[in-house]
Amino acid sequence: MVRRLSGVGAIRAAGTGTAVWYGSEPDLGDPPAIGTVDPDPDPDPDTDTDTDTETETETETERFESARDAARKAIRAERERATERLDDAAAAVFDAHVQFLDDPQLAETVAARIESGLPAEHAVDRAFAAFVDRFEGTGGRTAERADDLRDVRDRLLRELVGGDRDDLADLPAGSVVLAERLTPSDTARLDPDRVAGFATVTGGPTAHAAIFARSLGLPAVVGVGEGLHDVAAGAEVVVDGTEGEVVIGPDAATREAAGGDERVEIRTAPVTTAEGTPIEVAANVGQQADLAAAADHGADGIGLFRTEFLFFDRASPPDEDEQYEAYREALATFPDGRVVVRTLDVGGDKPVGYLDPADDENPFLGERGIRRSLGPDADVFETQLRALLRAAATDAGGRLSVMVPLVTTVDEVVAAREAIESVAAALDAAGEAYATPEFGVMIETPAAALLAEPLVGHVDFVSVGTNDLAQYVMAAARGNRRVADLADPRQPAVLRAIRRGVAATEGTDVWVGVCGEMASDPAVTPLLVGLGVDELSVAPASAPRVKRAVSEVRDDAARDLAERALAAGTREEVAAVLDGTVS
Amino acid sequence: MPERIATVVPEDGLHARPGATFVETAADSDADVQVGHTGGDLVNAASMLAVTGLGVEHGDEVRLVAEGEDADATLDELERILTTPEDDR
Repeated sequence: MVRRLSGVGAIRAAGTGTAVWYGSEPDLGDPPAIGTVDPDPDPDPDTDTDTDTETETETETERFESARDAARKAIRAERERATERLDDAAAAVFDAHVQFLDDPQLAETVAARIESGLPAEHAVDRAFAAFVDRFEGTGGRTAERADDLRDVRDRLLRELVGGDRDDLADLPAGSVVLAERLTPSDTARLDPDRVAGFATVTGGPTAHAAIFARSLGLPAVVGVGEGLHDVAAGAEVVVDGTEGEVVIGPDAATREAAGGDERVEIRTAPVTTAEGTPIEVAANVGQQADLAAAADHGADGIGLFRTEFLFFDRASPPDEDEQYEAYREALATFPDGRVVVRTLDVGGDKPVGYLDPADDENPFLGERGIRRSLGPDADVFETQLRALLRAAATDAGGRLSVMVPLVTTVDEVVAAREAIESVAAALDAAGEAYATPEFGVMIETPAAALLAEPLVGHVDFVSVGTNDLAQYVMAAARGNRRVADLADPRQPAVLRAIRRGVAATEGTDVWVGVCGEMASDPAVTPLLVGLGVDELSVAPASAPRVKRAVSEVRDDAARDLAERALAAGTREEVAAVLDGTVS
Repeated sequence: MPERIATVVPEDGLHARPGATFVETAADSDADVQVGHTGGDLVNAASMLAVTGLGVEHGDEVRLVAEGEDADATLDELERILTTPEDDR
């Protein structure tokens, strides 16, 4: 029998799948027996002669402080992962979590509970309970921040009492996640390729979970109420964000109306356009799990291995051997495919604590990317290059490519090549096995696009990073919704910058790729192919759709499309050309 | 003690980015700053928990009180944050 439960749709999209219940709250164990807690903590510890109590208080305070340090690191690492998959607004959510974590009132409240004899985990739990109550009592947007508090609390508790959350990143394909509530970091972990949607008992449309759902394109219905508990795990459900409904045991008509879930065939073989022009479809890898996901989705190789994730969430940089293993593993995953490793791109909005952050007033225009690698992080760069050159000498190492980020001058490219040569000489002198990989640069600044001809003379390949390129060409931050229309790669100025980079490679042996969100969108595949791109590096889950789009491209039509898009003077005209509404 | 009354201009009130900037500014200052709805309780302006708990929305009138070094300069800066539409930053 069909049953419908109503809530609030977070996004105008629907998905059908199998219900999985998710619970995330850590188990604290029993609180201390009544009577062992001093209900009125003595404000003056000097009058307290019980040194055991003082020692315990100190121990618990230290436990809280180290849990807070660990939680802060975990949030920052999550922030980085989130920015790879969501957008800059997601990063701001995690920044707010750090602010809550480091709040002076939180520290005071927890300290008072610890003084009263509570162990740290119960002190944290009770302190947060008071703040959650206050937020929910205030109502409105403040109430919707209560889930952010729960998120921060759960992180602290997991540090204090251990225990992992259920692995949301590893659900069976076609799952619909049902939960009392989802915290922002729970939602950020959902893989839109495996999860068909989610529904929660609580929550409103401006809660961060709903905002993340929109950013992930994940069907979601929030605030369904207690009725959601009637849905048994394993039941087939439709989450319909357009109607704001959860449908249990949908009939064929409902499934049809909800659109079902479109499955695109995964092709492991390289693809060509309809006319036989080979186009490499590689994947972006921003975390360890992406490697397997890239292979599972039939990517030809890796077009952008963001090495930052090897450096986040730890106290010191990974050493040469650890990096060597990571690169060797990536190469072994794609024995026949190219693996493009981008050297460390930190600084700016991606600080790594132990790397002595630059104090730049405007981080996006400060010391980041190759500027750090040739400057304060030269030692880190050298270690990374040693690991890469050694990995290039392994069985699958012949397809390794090294790429440097944020290039603006020929001097930087020459200096980076010299660094590689001197590392090669050192490895040679030490009798270590090494090979010199293919070398390339990112075109992600207006300077690199304008200077593409001379740059191309120094490299084996270039890869156009459309996210940063759009942002720098248009002087508009991607995460700022008020300028989102400007920071769009469909802007004519951005298209012309991309074309300039691509054109510089024509008639040379230098190949050209595009990484960045634009490459993952099958709707712009004909445009990019028409502009003359040889490789598309996409989100792992997008590989099947982009491969299908490539195979449908007709070369002449694509070139014609690109010409018309380049001739357009406004974003609307570009969009109209892409939609095929003008010819 | 210097104090100010301001009507909150940013659309997000003291949530999201304006809230974060407000709290950061108060925390970075050497002055002790308190904030609250006019006629309501005052809370520590350097505490994200306390400031979010106030539920200050666009159009609300708030009172700021500061004490200590740089009290006036800090109030000027906080008042600017409260009265500047987000687009202008």
